[in-house]
Amino acid sequence: MELGVIAPVGVQALQVATIVIAAPLVSGAISHAEGRLQGRRGPRILQPYYDLAKLFRKETLVTEESSWVFLAGPVVAFGCYLIVPLLIPVLTTYGLPLGYMGDILGGGFVLALAGFSVALAGTESGAPYAQLGGSRAMTFGALIEPTILFVVFAVALITSTDLPYALAATVRSSSEIVRPSHVLAAVAFFLVVLVDTGRIPVETHTGTLELGMIDEARTLEHSGPALALLKWGSAMKQLILYTILINVFVAPWGLASSGSPLAVVGAVGALIGKAILLGLVFAVIDNLFSKLRLFKITEFLAAAFGIAVLAVLVFYVGSA
Amino acid sequence: MTAVPVPSTTAGVDEVVAVIVLLSEFAMLRAPLLRSQVRLYAFQSLAVVALAVVVAATRHVGDLYALAALSFVLKVVIVPAVMMRLLRGTDVDLTGSPVLGAATMTLIALGVTAFGFFAVGSLHVHSKLLPSAALAIAVAVVLVAFVLIVLRSDVVSQAMGFFSLENGVSVVSLVIAAGLPLVLEVAFLFDLLVAVVVFGIIMRVHHGRAKTLLTDDLDRLRG
Repeated sequence: MELGVIAPVGVQALQVATIVIAAPLVSGAISHAEGRLQGRRGPRILQPYYDLAKLFRKETLVTEESSWVFLAGPVVAFGCYLIVPLLIPVLTTYGLPLGYMGDILGGGFVLALAGFSVALAGTESGAPYAQLGGSRAMTFGALIEPTILFVVFAVALITSTDLPYALAATVRSSSEIVRPSHVLAAVAFFLVVLVDTGRIPVETHTGTLELGMIDEARTLEHSGPALALLKWGSAMKQLILYTILINVFVAPWGLASSGSPLAVVGAVGALIGKAILLGLVFAVIDNLFSKLRLFKITEFLAAAFGIAVLAVLVFYVGSA
Repeated sequence: MTAVPVPSTTAGVDEVVAVIVLLSEFAMLRAPLLRSQVRLYAFQSLAVVALAVVVAATRHVGDLYALAALSFVLKVVIVPAVMMRLLRGTDVDLTGSPVLGAATMTLIALGVTAFGFFAVGSLHVHSKLLPSAALAIAVAVVLVAFVLIVLRSDVVSQAMGFFSLENGVSVVSLVIAAGLPLVLEVAFLFDLLVAVVVFGIIMRVHHGRAKTLLTDDLDRLRG
C-alpha cells in the first residue's frame, strides 16, 4: 500500500500537535486511575478538555495591583511548551529540521523560562499565596537544577553529544539500557520528573492545601482563559517530561523511522500509550507514599542529586 | 554514534546489581526507623543473592547456586528476623538522631564513594572478565558502610552497617573471584553469624542496662 511520505516539516508540526492535543488526555487518564486506586470512581478521562473549554468561555479577572506581566506570563509559558517538542524525539527516530536547534540543555532552559514566567505572573498578582508558590517554585527549581545538570553530563559522557536523539539511538541499538551510569541517570531523571510535575513525595497536585503548595499555588489568582492556558501548559509540561523520560531514557521503541503515515500514526498511538502507562506508575507512587514535609524536600533532592552524581562517577570507573 | 564502548550485557547486569547494592547502602544512611534499616539490609542482601545467581548462570559456576541459597536463608530471612525480634523486645523505634543532617551525610557518603572509585581506578586492575565498575562500586559500599557506622549513634545502625559491609565484601568476592572455593564463602557467612550473635548480645545487654539503644551514653569508664 503506497500512502506517500509526510514531509519532515509536517512530522515536526505533528510532534507539537500531539503534545498539545494529547496532554489533557494523559492527565485525565492519570487522575481517573488515581480515583480508581483510591476507591473512587474518578473524573472522566476527558474531563480536562471540558475544564479547558469551560475556562476559555469565562471572563478574565485581574487584581488591581497587577500589571501586564500577570497576563503575559501564561502566554509566554504556553509558547515555551510549544517550542520544546521541536527539540525532543516525540514521534521520530531521526532528527527533524528544527530538532538540532537546541540540545537537552536548550530544552531545559526553555522549560525553565516557562517556569520562571509563571512564577513571575504569580508574584505579580500581589496575593500572598501565589507569591509564596512562586518563591517556593523558584527555590526548589534552583535546588533540582544541579541534578538536571549532572543527568545531562552523564548523557553527554555516554554519547559524547548532548542531543536527545543521539541518546535515544544509543539506547535502541545496544545493551546501553543495562549500563549502570545510564540506569542511574534514568532514575535521577525520574525523580526530577516527580519534582517538576509536582507529584506526591514533593507536593500534592490535587486539593487546596495552601501551606504545602508549591507549583499549584502560583496559579491561584489567575482565572478564565489565562488559567486555562496555565492548566493546559502544565499538562503539556507533564507530557513533555514523560516523553523525554520514555523516548530518550527508558523505552525509545515504537517511534517512526520514516515519514510514512502509518508509522507516524503508530508512533502517536505508542507515545500516548506509553505516557499513560508511565502515568499509572506515578499514580501508584502517589498512593504509596505520603507528602514530605516542606523542609524534608531538600533531602529528597539531595538523594536525586546523589544518584545523578553517581551516574557520572560510575561512568568514569566503568570506562577507566 | 556511540563514543564509548558499551559494556557487554553480562557485565552491565553485574554492575547494575552492584549499583542497587550501593543505593540501598545510601538509603540506609538516611533511614529514620530502626525497622526500615533492617528491611533495607534484607533488600540489599537480596540484591547480593541476585548477583550471585547471575554470576553463577553467566559463568557456569554451579557452586554459586548453593552459596546463593545459603545467603538467601541466612541474610534475607534469618538475620533480619532475629534483628526484628530483638527490636520488638525493646520499645525504641527511631534511630539515634544522627550527628549530621541527612543531606550532609549523603554528600559525605558521595565524597567517600568518589574516593573509593578513584582509588580503585588508580590501581589499574584490568581484566577481560572483570567488570571494573562493579569492583569500584563494591569498595564504595564498604566505605559508605563505614560512614554509616561512624555517623550513626545507635547499636542497630552500627550492626546493620557492619552486616552490609559484609555484603560489600561478598560483591567483591563475586565479581573478582567467582570461583572462590565454597568453603571460603561459607566461612564468610559464618563470620556474619558470629557478628549477629555478638551484636545481639550487645543490644540486649545495653538495652537492659541503659534502657536505650544509643551508644552516646557509653562514654565513661567504669571500674
